[in-house]
Amino acid sequence: MNGLERIITALSLKEPDRVPLYIHAINEKPIILIAREHLEGLPDPEKTFYDMNDNEKMLMLEALFLVHEKHDIDGFTSLEFGHEERIAEDEVRDAWGVVYQLNPFGLPVAKHHPLKEKSDLVGFVPPAPKKENLLLLMAARERFRDTKAIFWMMRGTFVLSWRLTGMENLMLKMFDDPDFVHSIARMTYEYNVQMLDLLVEAGLDVLIIEDDIADKNFPLISPDQFKEFINPYNRKLVELGHEKGLKVIRHSDGNLWPLLDILLETGYDGLNPLEPQAGMDLKKLKEYCGDRLCFLGNIDCIDLLPNGTQEQVEETVKQAISDAGEGGGLIISSSNSLHPGVNPDNCIAMFNATKNYGRYPLNRF
Amino acid sequence: MTLLEELAQTLQEGDLNDTTGLVNRAVTEGIPAETILKSGLIAGMDEIGRKFQDGEIFIPHMLLAARAMNAGIDILKPLLAESGAKPAGHVVLGTVKGDHHDIGKNLVRIMLEGKGFAVNDLGIDVQPKDFVDAITEEVQIVAISALLSTTVPFIEETIQTLESAGVRDQVKVIIGGGVVTQETAEKFGADAYGQDAAIGAVKAMELIEALN
Repeated sequence: MNGLERIITALSLKEPDRVPLYIHAINEKPIILIAREHLEGLPDPEKTFYDMNDNEKMLMLEALFLVHEKHDIDGFTSLEFGHEERIAEDEVRDAWGVVYQLNPFGLPVAKHHPLKEKSDLVGFVPPAPKKENLLLLMAARERFRDTKAIFWMMRGTFVLSWRLTGMENLMLKMFDDPDFVHSIARMTYEYNVQMLDLLVEAGLDVLIIEDDIADKNFPLISPDQFKEFINPYNRKLVELGHEKGLKVIRHSDGNLWPLLDILLETGYDGLNPLEPQAGMDLKKLKEYCGDRLCFLGNIDCIDLLPNGTQEQVEETVKQAISDAGEGGGLIISSSNSLHPGVNPDNCIAMFNATKNYGRYPLNRF
Repeated sequence: MTLLEELAQTLQEGDLNDTTGLVNRAVTEGIPAETILKSGLIAGMDEIGRKFQDGEIFIPHMLLAARAMNAGIDILKPLLAESGAKPAGHVVLGTVKGDHHDIGKNLVRIMLEGKGFAVNDLGIDVQPKDFVDAITEEVQIVAISALLSTTVPFIEETIQTLESAGVRDQVKVIIGGGVVTQETAEKFGADAYGQDAAIGAVKAMELIEALN
């Protein structure tokens, strides 16, 4: 089997030839540290993508592809590029007018929100998705042909809505002005529908609805608010994705147990990234809904991948396979992004352990 | 139900007008401002904290209650100043340098104020030196938040800066947020760890009680 077949089989809750591997998101530093034995001339690992010149950016793209090729990663995540413009040394603005502050690691955090009140909607023209911003997807498609599954990270209703309105403001508007919250949600949904058409045309395999909705303790909003303001819009994207022949997975950090039944009923094929620190225990999940949902993630990137030994990483991967690999429906990945703090040797240990211990039929170890 | 019990209840429901109405009524009836604060507003916020910790309510409900609380406090402020009432303690609060997340930190402020603390909120992306500069004689607690695994090391740097500036022994340090754990607190030599905003405020109160 190739990577695409492996991922689609696992997402279809069947056993591929081995447990697939996937990188949901990866920062500049781990890309450089993992790829540098295969590629010369890479930028300083501390440099952020925003600060790289065009030549360095091209090298980074090659490095990212090499990480996937050299380590037999079965799925490739693509996301929008080119929709942001740099407006200051440490600030970027996206096509919606949301301004982000860049932290020292290049992580953007929304800080200016253009739509705070209903009156702000007057005259506001939402952006239209652009084909040229799908460059990463098209380059990956070209590079991997049909040997790896191409994923696309689509920001969901909650994330897009709070970026536009401000998180606390959005939460209070759910009480004060529900119509406003729905107007915003509808607008983000319409953008995503247009984007989906472009994505399908460009050759997508797996749609990720990336919509962080929980912290390590609880969902950020109540399950009732989730059902009223967020999930109906995401659900329509799931349905549309399925109609277009895609697999659709849901990404959210945090403890999703209080929302799990709603997510199951929404029809997602998979769930990611399953943080162990947030109670997203693979064994419990497999027992609860392993017949309905594929699990992607769970290898701890908070403590294990930065600070653990390679032996501990190997044991954790073996345990994950033992807990949730039977019958398919498991894709090994880290419990969130491979961030600048992870030890690259531990990432490679995670990849190798999956290939060494993930062969079907699974051995009991 | 007494008037102050009714106030505590109304605050939890987050109704702004009813809350300020009841605070005004309590003032008119001659109930001392400090009693209105403690047995009405703080009692209501205590219950909000408990429900939040138990997953009965979520962040939006907490924000709603906090808005009502602040409106109530605004009415009481001049009266509290007149009567010389003192806050439960003085806290300096901020999200560490390199981290621009504010909602978790804001929830901590809400819960601390809900326990009667005076909070100097330094905001987000706070440099270690700025924490040091904010420590005045009356400050007893420094509360540090970090969401990201990449910014957690800056908690340690902040604590070390407090040490090298010679103010570490003057204050208790409580930390929390995102990927922070009890182990992080022990490793960095913090005095307490708040798993969530409500627990953080309870721990801060325990630190103050231990000081007194």
